[in-house]
Amino acid sequence: MLTSPRETSGEVTRPRPDLVRQRARRRTLALLTALACLLVIILASLALGVRDILPTEVWNALTAPVTGNQDHRVVLEQRLPRTGVGLAAGAALGLAGTLVQGVTRNPIADPGLLGLNAGASLAVVCAFWLLGITAPAGYVWFAFLGAAAAAALVFSIGAGQPVRLALVGATVTALITPLITLVLLRDPTAFNLYRFWAVGSLTGRGLDTIAALWPFVAVGAVLAGALAHRLNMLALGDDVARALGQRVGTTRTLAGVAVVLLAGTATALAGPIALVGLAVPHAARRLVGTDYRWITALAAMLGPVMLLGADVIGRLVLPHTELEAGVVAALIGAPVLVAVARGRTVAGV
Amino acid sequence: MTSTVDAPTAVGRLRVARRRRLVLVLATFLVLGVALATLALTLGAASLPPGRALLALLGAGDAKDVFIVHRLRLPRVEAALLVGAAFGLAGALFQSTLRNPLASPDILGIASGASLGAVWALLGLGLTGLTVSGFAFLGASAVAVAIWFLAWRRGLHSVRFVLVGVGLAYLCSSVLAWLLARADVREAQSALLWTVGSVSDVRGEELGLLAGGVAILALGVALVSRTQGPLALGDDNARALGVHVDAARVGSLLLAVALVALATSFAGPIAFVALVAPAIARRLVDDGGAALLPSAATGAVLVLVSDLAGQHALFGVGAPVGIVTGLVGAPYLLWLLATNDKRSAA
Repeated sequence: MLTSPRETSGEVTRPRPDLVRQRARRRTLALLTALACLLVIILASLALGVRDILPTEVWNALTAPVTGNQDHRVVLEQRLPRTGVGLAAGAALGLAGTLVQGVTRNPIADPGLLGLNAGASLAVVCAFWLLGITAPAGYVWFAFLGAAAAAALVFSIGAGQPVRLALVGATVTALITPLITLVLLRDPTAFNLYRFWAVGSLTGRGLDTIAALWPFVAVGAVLAGALAHRLNMLALGDDVARALGQRVGTTRTLAGVAVVLLAGTATALAGPIALVGLAVPHAARRLVGTDYRWITALAAMLGPVMLLGADVIGRLVLPHTELEAGVVAALIGAPVLVAVARGRTVAGV
Repeated sequence: MTSTVDAPTAVGRLRVARRRRLVLVLATFLVLGVALATLALTLGAASLPPGRALLALLGAGDAKDVFIVHRLRLPRVEAALLVGAAFGLAGALFQSTLRNPLASPDILGIASGASLGAVWALLGLGLTGLTVSGFAFLGASAVAVAIWFLAWRRGLHSVRFVLVGVGLAYLCSSVLAWLLARADVREAQSALLWTVGSVSDVRGEELGLLAGGVAILALGVALVSRTQGPLALGDDNARALGVHVDAARVGSLLLAVALVALATSFAGPIAFVALVAPAIARRLVDDGGAALLPSAATGAVLVLVSDLAGQHALFGVGAPVGIVTGLVGAPYLLWLLATNDKRSAA
């Protein structure tokens, strides 16, 4: 549905060796380009900001840090954790979005649209409000729980019909948002903590938090990779997938678990980042076609590219202050959603 | 053979039954509204018995009572009724015009646009009072116009309209979160009220503007209401019945957007009234059409009930009405979505 014209045009009825080779080359090229972009953006994220640091100095800071060197301290204490958060959360969101879109066969699905962010937000607010937990390593568990509960509710009511699933997600969000607001109106302390979390920022998380959380992303990523082939069959419809020997229910459950692991971690790490999980799979699909194995691989790289890119842009656009990564990501992601909605595929959803 | 003879009478009987039901429903809402309004006038920090409240309403009785009723409580009741009616009416117009029972300003980002406009005026520009309302109006209108242009592709496709709206809702809420994180914590907390909606501060000239605007727009809705029945049958059938489909749709949506923008600018985006009120009204009246008047009545009563509950029954004193309508409206919609497959697929 989103394959390039080259693949769909012409009267190709069986795979022609030259076309197959061409496609493979194009996919490899896309993957390598994404990898190169990722490396460049990681470097930019370590080097750019209020204080611009030369790449050679960044390298020195990483390999042979000198105590007392201001540049080295900035790189190691501020930019390195920030880049780590961007990498983990970005990859998690890209993969979670791919899984949600694949499982629901719905081009507009993303973890945020499905109410997962709202569920995680409510749980985090309750952690702030009732338990006074402020450390990310503490409230991540609440984010998980909230995301899992919201996911269970949304999938149980909306499964099957794409548009309905999105609307159930929106409704669950609308049910939860007043509850959050109620707490925030009552408790200024919780509000103060929440507002900086809710805007979606990569700063302020230590390396220890990332160390505690990356295993979840890793497990989710492995699951996503393992499910990619099943998503390819599922794309042909539940019946076809079943006829090919797949347990559709198992696929959905595993994918749901992976989405909660991935999106829950991302939300706990970086706050409710809007639309990254939506935009990235679409970008990947345009680049490598409809094979979920390639989409998954590419999304794992494009996610951090988008989130870290948004973070770097946010550091540079305003002279004396920063735009948080979540805001910039939404500014980039919204046009993507509009483009998807204007595409021909939407009418068939 | 008898069926052809009987058909007109059967239709006539159905029509009479429907009209009787419509009158019954509207009368019930009227009684309910009056009873709730009386209750709203009596309840509060200084509790007035109904007799004294009514006396004060007529301008007689104790000067303190008159002040309490006319200055403090009556404006709030009037605002709740007007805003609720506006949201209900707008929701009914959206849903019948887009032929989607789930189209509503909450989901389409129009409400977020109003929140964003108001919060930006409060926190970004440091404005207060009526100007903030003006910015909420601008925000809602801007989002509506943006959806319009972005979703238009050889006509106004309903799914496309919803998706573009959802995208803009996300964009607005992100920028809103950013504004809240920027500002002084106490100012930001009071600006939060503009994200849920409240009828507590609508009085005086604001109330007059609101009433006048709703009256004018309701008149406009009455003029286009004739086309809503045919439009609900689909574009081709409506055209066959002599309706200018595009003109009717543009007109209805413009009126709906204006109603939402007006109500939102004074009370904030009161959650889910525009979505739920028409759904309830259609179930009560079931005339297969837009159920405009019952929707407005349902919306008015729903907001009044929610405001009363928020003030006196739930969460201690003073929960803004938008929180209560969301808590009542969202579960109801979830139930609709879980049970009503055919319609939600539309």
